[in-house]
Amino acid sequence: MSDTPIDRVAKATPPSVASKIRGLSDRAIAWLFVLPTIFLLLAVNIFPLIWTINLSFTNFRANRPNREVDYIGLRNYERILTDEDIWLTMQATAHFLFWTIFFQVLIGFTLAWLINRKFKGNDLWTTLIVLPMMLSPAVVGNFWTFLYQPQIGLFNYGISFLTGIDPSSFQMIGDVTLAPWSIVIVDTWMWTPFVMLICLAGLRSIPDYIYEAAEIDRASQWRQFWTITIPMVLPFLMLAVLFRGIENFKMFDLVVQLTGGGPGSITELTSINLKREAFEKWRTGYASAYAIILFVTVFGLASIYVKALNKVKER
Amino acid sequence: MSEVRLSNLSKAFGETIAVDDVTMTIPNGALVTLLGPTGAGKTTILRLISGLEQPEGGDVSIGGRSVVDDTPAQRNVAMVFQQYSLYPHMSVQDNLAFPLRSPLLKTPAEEIERKVSEIAEVLRISHKMNNKATELSGGEMQRVSIGRALVREPTIFLMDEPLSSLDAKLRSDLRIELKRIQENLGATLLYVTHDQIEAMTMSTHVGVLDHGRLVQFGTPREIYENPVNLYVAGRLGQPRINVLPADMFAGAPAGADKMGLRPEHIQQGEGKGSMVKRIEHLGDQIRLHLTLDGHDVVTLSEPHSDLEPGDTVAIQPRNPLFFDASGVRIT
Ligand SMILES: Nc1ncnc2c1ncn2[C@@H]1O[C@H](COP(=O)(O)OP(=O)(O)OP(=O)(O)O)[C@@H](O)[C@H]1O
Ligand SMILES: [Mg+2]
Repeated sequence: MSDTPIDRVAKATPPSVASKIRGLSDRAIAWLFVLPTIFLLLAVNIFPLIWTINLSFTNFRANRPNREVDYIGLRNYERILTDEDIWLTMQATAHFLFWTIFFQVLIGFTLAWLINRKFKGNDLWTTLIVLPMMLSPAVVGNFWTFLYQPQIGLFNYGISFLTGIDPSSFQMIGDVTLAPWSIVIVDTWMWTPFVMLICLAGLRSIPDYIYEAAEIDRASQWRQFWTITIPMVLPFLMLAVLFRGIENFKMFDLVVQLTGGGPGSITELTSINLKREAFEKWRTGYASAYAIILFVTVFGLASIYVKALNKVKER
Repeated sequence: MSEVRLSNLSKAFGETIAVDDVTMTIPNGALVTLLGPTGAGKTTILRLISGLEQPEGGDVSIGGRSVVDDTPAQRNVAMVFQQYSLYPHMSVQDNLAFPLRSPLLKTPAEEIERKVSEIAEVLRISHKMNNKATELSGGEMQRVSIGRALVREPTIFLMDEPLSSLDAKLRSDLRIELKRIQENLGATLLYVTHDQIEAMTMSTHVGVLDHGRLVQFGTPREIYENPVNLYVAGRLGQPRINVLPADMFAGAPAGADKMGLRPEHIQQGEGKGSMVKRIEHLGDQIRLHLTLDGHDVVTLSEPHSDLEPGDTVAIQPRNPLFFDASGVRIT
């Protein structure tokens, strides 16, 4: 006797209900309700995934649908994993991920900590700080290209004001060493408020009485920070990191607007790279394999991370 | 351990006057109990002593030195909070060790270990050492909270209803343990309770609070036998003191308006007849609810008495307490 959810629903349904709708058994009715959802799920999720896996073993090109398709085994995977350029792209992505998360957590937590000290007007400050997050990434990318302008850009002017370097002597977007940092700066500017909000929620969740007890137990401010504040905010912080990690792994719009992946392909993150392969070079089979590799990577990293997160929450 | 002195201490929260001009000395090595109904200002007094609250007026001195400008850490007091206030993300072990792990104290790890397990033994929470603080019952949390105070060597222990969540047996066991520890250490302890037995048996002194004011301060026997007014008389004694018009029986002194009768002030067998309304069997004693000329009187009787509702018992007072019209004690 099988015990699927549908069976259980059928068993739980009183006979009177079933008998009113004659001609169909309870099981049939249950299936009727579930089928549209199952169909939708198959159509938009499962089928494309399987089809992508299938394509990843072929040399199919979507711009030449009539050409004969050959199965080439693991050739696509082999080529991707041995491709220097792809490794560079991966490195650029890792660099971008690491530094954006690093700065956003550092600055976001500090801001949250400052805002959480009860001072006058901290609500106004919160609103002001959160503003960048509410803008569209395309708009942000666009106006930061102006800010980065060597001649008229405010960013270059600000740097020169602070350090005395000539503002037109460096180009944030055009320079090979500076360009990766230019996107890190903009993403940090835009998304630090998000991390701050989550940290603030964490800090506000710590009741005052815990600090009072620590005060009575003669713990210094420093010790209170490390033994109470940090451990109790940590689950929130890790959640913020997870959100930012997932978001930034698929980062596209902001960087396309800012640098377009350049100069050369220095700021070409995997998502941009993938899009090029799939929809500019039309190497559909190759791009499918690429997508599968990324999927497995992200899936693996995320599940390790979520395990760690759960462990921290249990503590 | 030190003497703690409160002089003209006052604290208000907006309109509410929580503590009103309290002057009280907690002698070195004494166990002082604060009695008072809910909202009387007991917790506020503890918080003022610990430094978590700043007084509006008056002074707190510990060991002869004014500490009003000191931080809680500088005052070196240990406190058992009414709502436990454990560190929720730490284990019981870590909660108990937290005060000892201060980098300033430089207590060796094995010393901490020894102290913590010793206290855990006394408080019967050794088997829960690895539980998180949130994975405990109310009574267990309360004992961890007591333990966190007892591992220390403070100037004064402040305990806010520390045994209130425990079952009757554990409560009476720990009452004796606490008293023993306090005596062994020669510790000064300020203790808040609603429990009559704790107040009477543990304390060297009792302070009775009414709306933030200290109404009477003395030994438990003084408070019980010589209350300064009706309010204090009503705080101790089970069943509660009976209040009757002073002229119900002959022999009231001049100016007396009310007469207070505790069960031991009521002699049965002679005097005015009263009707038995209800009988409560408490096991070791029997509580009689009587009506005397339209006034309710509650008193005790032998466990084996064969009285029944409707019977008549003759009663008369024996050395009762007399109060004037404003409730102040006369004799
Ligand atoms: N932080 C606060 N803000 C405003 N009012 C307060 C605050 N703390 C205490 N009060 C008020 O001060 C008065 C005394 O409170 P306190 O907590 O000292 O009472 P308590 O004697 O400990 O009562 P209980 O037996 O219920 O614990 C109460 O009226 C209370 O409402
Ligand atoms: Mg209280």
